[in-house]
Amino acid sequence: MTLGPFLFMAPLTLLGLIALPIIWYILRATPPSPKLAQLPSLRLLENVDPKEETPSRTPWWILLLRIGAAALAILGLSQPIFAPNAGRDQAASGPVLVVMDDGWTSAQRWGELRSAALSAMNGETRDTPAHILLTAPRALPADPGERLDRAAFEARVRSLQPQAWNIDREEALARLTESQLRPGRILWLTDGLDPETAAPFARALADLAPLSIYAAPARGPMALTRLAADAQGVTLTAARTDGTAPSTQFVSALTLDGAALATADLSFANGEDTASATFSLPPAALSRVSRFQVTGSATAGTVWLWDSADRSRRVGLVSGDSTAQPLLSDIHYVRKALEPFATISEGELTDLIDENPDAIILTDIGQIDGDAKAAINQWIEDGGALIRFAGPRMAGPQVATREDDLVPAPLRRSSRAIGGTLTWEDPQPLGTFPEASPFAGLTAPEDIRVRQQVLALPGPELARRTWARLADGSPLVTADRRGQGTLILFHVTAGPDWSDLPYAGVFVDMLRRSIAAGRGEAISDEEGLYTPALTLNGTGRLTQPSAGATPLRAAEFGAVQLSEAHPPGLYQGPAGTRALNVAAEYTPVTMTEWPASATLLGDTEARTLRLGGLLLGGALLLLCIDLIVALALAGRLPVLRRSAAAVVVMLAGTALCVPEPAFAQSSFGSSQFDDLDKEVAAALEMRLAYIETGDARADRATKAGLEGISLVLFRRSSVEPAAPHAVDPETDALDVYPALFLSLPENPEPFSATAVARLNAYMRNGGALFIDTRRGGTVGGGNSFDNLDQILAGLDTPPLAPVPDDHVLTRSYYLIQSFPGRYENRNLWIEATGAADKTERRGDGVSRLFVGDADYLAAWAIDERGRPLYSVDGGDAQRELAIRFGVNLIIYILTGNYKEDQVHIPALLERLGEDDGVGDFNVQDGVIP
Amino acid sequence: MISLSTLRADAEALARQLPGLTLQAAAADVIHPGAAGRKRAGSGEQFWQYRRYTQTDAADRIDWRRSARGDEYFVRETELETARTILSWVDPHAGFDWSSDPGRETKADRARTILLAQGIVFAKQGERIGLISGHRPASLGKSAPDKLAEDLLSTSTDQLQPPRAQALAIIASDFYDGAEAWRERLAPLARTCRHGVLLAVSDPIEHAFPFTGRTKFSRPGSALDRLFGRAETVRETYLEKLAAHETALADLAANMGWALVKHRTDEAALRGAAAVQSALEQFGAKA
Repeated sequence: MTLGPFLFMAPLTLLGLIALPIIWYILRATPPSPKLAQLPSLRLLENVDPKEETPSRTPWWILLLRIGAAALAILGLSQPIFAPNAGRDQAASGPVLVVMDDGWTSAQRWGELRSAALSAMNGETRDTPAHILLTAPRALPADPGERLDRAAFEARVRSLQPQAWNIDREEALARLTESQLRPGRILWLTDGLDPETAAPFARALADLAPLSIYAAPARGPMALTRLAADAQGVTLTAARTDGTAPSTQFVSALTLDGAALATADLSFANGEDTASATFSLPPAALSRVSRFQVTGSATAGTVWLWDSADRSRRVGLVSGDSTAQPLLSDIHYVRKALEPFATISEGELTDLIDENPDAIILTDIGQIDGDAKAAINQWIEDGGALIRFAGPRMAGPQVATREDDLVPAPLRRSSRAIGGTLTWEDPQPLGTFPEASPFAGLTAPEDIRVRQQVLALPGPELARRTWARLADGSPLVTADRRGQGTLILFHVTAGPDWSDLPYAGVFVDMLRRSIAAGRGEAISDEEGLYTPALTLNGTGRLTQPSAGATPLRAAEFGAVQLSEAHPPGLYQGPAGTRALNVAAEYTPVTMTEWPASATLLGDTEARTLRLGGLLLGGALLLLCIDLIVALALAGRLPVLRRSAAAVVVMLAGTALCVPEPAFAQSSFGSSQFDDLDKEVAAALEMRLAYIETGDARADRATKAGLEGISLVLFRRSSVEPAAPHAVDPETDALDVYPALFLSLPENPEPFSATAVARLNAYMRNGGALFIDTRRGGTVGGGNSFDNLDQILAGLDTPPLAPVPDDHVLTRSYYLIQSFPGRYENRNLWIEATGAADKTERRGDGVSRLFVGDADYLAAWAIDERGRPLYSVDGGDAQRELAIRFGVNLIIYILTGNYKEDQVHIPALLERLGEDDGVGDFNVQDGVIP
Repeated sequence: MISLSTLRADAEALARQLPGLTLQAAAADVIHPGAAGRKRAGSGEQFWQYRRYTQTDAADRIDWRRSARGDEYFVRETELETARTILSWVDPHAGFDWSSDPGRETKADRARTILLAQGIVFAKQGERIGLISGHRPASLGKSAPDKLAEDLLSTSTDQLQPPRAQALAIIASDFYDGAEAWRERLAPLARTCRHGVLLAVSDPIEHAFPFTGRTKFSRPGSALDRLFGRAETVRETYLEKLAAHETALADLAANMGWALVKHRTDEAALRGAAAVQSALEQFGAKA
């Protein structure tokens, strides 16, 4: 059924609209169900009239919402199609033939072509058969004579994909003629290009039946047509068809696995049909690029595959050096300089000539004789670049008598040493590069010095042949053309023996440009077979080659016609990979002259829009909104208390999400500053810290204990700690605290692996960790450290031992004999300092780990008025001892083994006491000064 | 409903935390001169001692028979005999045996715990404890708390039958039926019991009224229900009504000469028990 520009596939469903008033009535009658709540004091509200009673009827806008949802659903189910062309169409007298150009040129607007094809059958009677003719040649082409009913036609059209090769309209026309099909109407969906074949094709179709044409020429850059690589970088040329307005696109350089290495602008000037994009990439990066793609375009034509033949020069290296010290040899510098952008092969000269590389580099080869000489001369004549480096052999007296014609200019038979002990001259820097030289434009670093070189004999040709000079004008690089090739001589060694040149970045550029002088003919094996490795599909993606793709001979690469057998892609062969690009050297020409009898469809006419899904989606959306609103009205959404607010929230939709991250950001930011402040505070003033266990009681006791001991230290010693900090071992900076105290609660939570790892690092870096299990008072508990290794799993625990009698802890400040906390007679365990592992002792023999169970911190704990908080076993006397132990502990942590020297004090005193009266110092008295 | 053993355990624990009820002698005098001697001077029938006359004694208290035997005047004192009766009552209304949170004990259970704790303390003091409209009379001695516990759990009557003799009454309810209704219900009781405590136990939700949106309220144990389109709009009114209700209750208690103790189930039971106890001690002070 048609209704204006709308077609309804299931018009009977529209009868459902009649039911809308009934739905309206039902919805009106049922208010949303209330929440139920029990309240014994309800009697109090007996005579209260609510100020604002929700109407027992649903609000009008909810009704509207629901009716709207129902109406949308009914409309959606009737499957409407927006087809402005449909009403105008006259029914065809016979089968409808749909001709589609499915070459790579159609790929960019494939979606439009396909939807135009789908609309071809709109307005036809149900029984009208459809036929499809595809113009891209296939090995097994579909027969246009095949009758398709409407469903099969749609399925077929939906499954169509553009091909990666060109179309062949003549062949398609031949197929159509062969099928004897007499269509009643023809719809041609074309890429609108190539009038040479399109015009006769259109005429032939128009002769056959009434013809409608929908042309969709590609928009924007449609093809990358050329790639030019030189020493500077890569330049790509792109073509477009709608060449009027200036536009800027982008081209990406991608690696084989799709990572984008660089992007370049592709700017079409006003009225221009071509534009180029230039990539200036470092050679190492350039060597990883395997394809270029117009960003945002998915066709085979907008991808340029870059093969290895194009990309990297092949260079042969021959060295006169011995290989005893490969890293010091000249050839090493050359290899390192070339590796990023050239394929290097090494070997004997004759073998290398057979490989026919772009360039051959000889480092200090004196004389080349015989067959090799003839072969290399021939190779240079054919376009090779021979690059020679001077050296002792070349300049040596033993070759002085013989003529070496493999140099650009005749040489003096000795090398010139500049800046030696016997010369007046200083080593020379590089001069500027001559304008005519390929090196022009390079900047020579000023700090390069050439200390020795071979000298060319002056001659009329020398100036012309010089590519680079020293500051004093003597040639550094000379070159001469021989046939199609070039002979280049560096008058210094390739290593740093004679000059600093190999150290400089400019050396790499000079080598690259020298190599570029070679012809770069890479293909030597005309008979080599290249098999497809990766092929492009019509949408510009690299895929595994299909079964129909067949290998190519190397010689055929220039002339091959791309087809299903030879799709565009990368072909693997003996000399690396070679690429076939579908758009290479392609020039798009737009078809303008259509046959007069054909109907040309505009974009809107060809398009149809199926509205069913949209409408059903809309209905679903309305129902979702209704659900949220209903929940909000019933008070089930705690956030949205007031329905008014709920409506606003509904309308604002997702926009509300925006403030949230901002809020999170700000709160996060502030906490970050807090952390920073804390770290700064801890770094500026010495203070003790404790690890928060999460048990508030235990943490309070620990904090009070540290405050207590800090106060005592402040009063009695020169240690003046600031207020203790609580730290989280997972997040806080630990290194700013000299000691961390961990006082475990009743049922401690195990620490995370991160926390333990950070504690390990803290102790390794010299921090001290004091662990108090606080279980010394437990009756019958034999070992109160049972679960310590579960709580601190992975803590880097050295062997522990009870504190020895003569340990520094017993005398670091006070002289004490025991280490009581709240509980008496408990052992304090520290790192064992056995003689055996003296070498492994960390922290200079100072224990970084203390483990006890006597609840020390509670014994030290004081309240804000300085009164003790917890009872201690032995009363105040023991509390004082516990505090003294605390002082000793902190002093020990801070001063390390300083007091260990006092071990010898009796002996020292004894020795001293014999002559002066120092003996009046009594160690037993108390504080050691 | 709470189980007997739990109730007993809770109440014992509570009673242990309560200090012994030391009613002033004067207060004890007022209340119900009764059966047991208190081993000290006071109002009673048994002779306790003669003591010398002091100037503060009224002349008519001189025991002339004893005084005639010598030169000094003596006053004859009798032994104090008190055994007060403390009667409890727990509202059996379904709305009282209710809790907003399944994890919280119901108002009635809380009231029972407090009442039994008081009973245990009283029983130790040698008072009679029992239930209003109970099926057995108030009892003395060690078994009295057991009986009270059983009665608290088993007896549930709406009737407030006035006791035959003077007694202290503790009435536990939420009193949501309104102060006027309760005035009528309590009137016969108040005639017999000069003093008593109204223990108003409430649930925290009844004070918070956290309801929003379209809400249908129902009162447990009655067919009453109300629908509010937006419950949050009546919250203010409700809280005003609640405050007015509490004022009315306080007035009612004051008119009767009783004390009102308000208690919420989210508070510690000890607090309620202590409040009841201090209210009882107040009576001593007043008298």
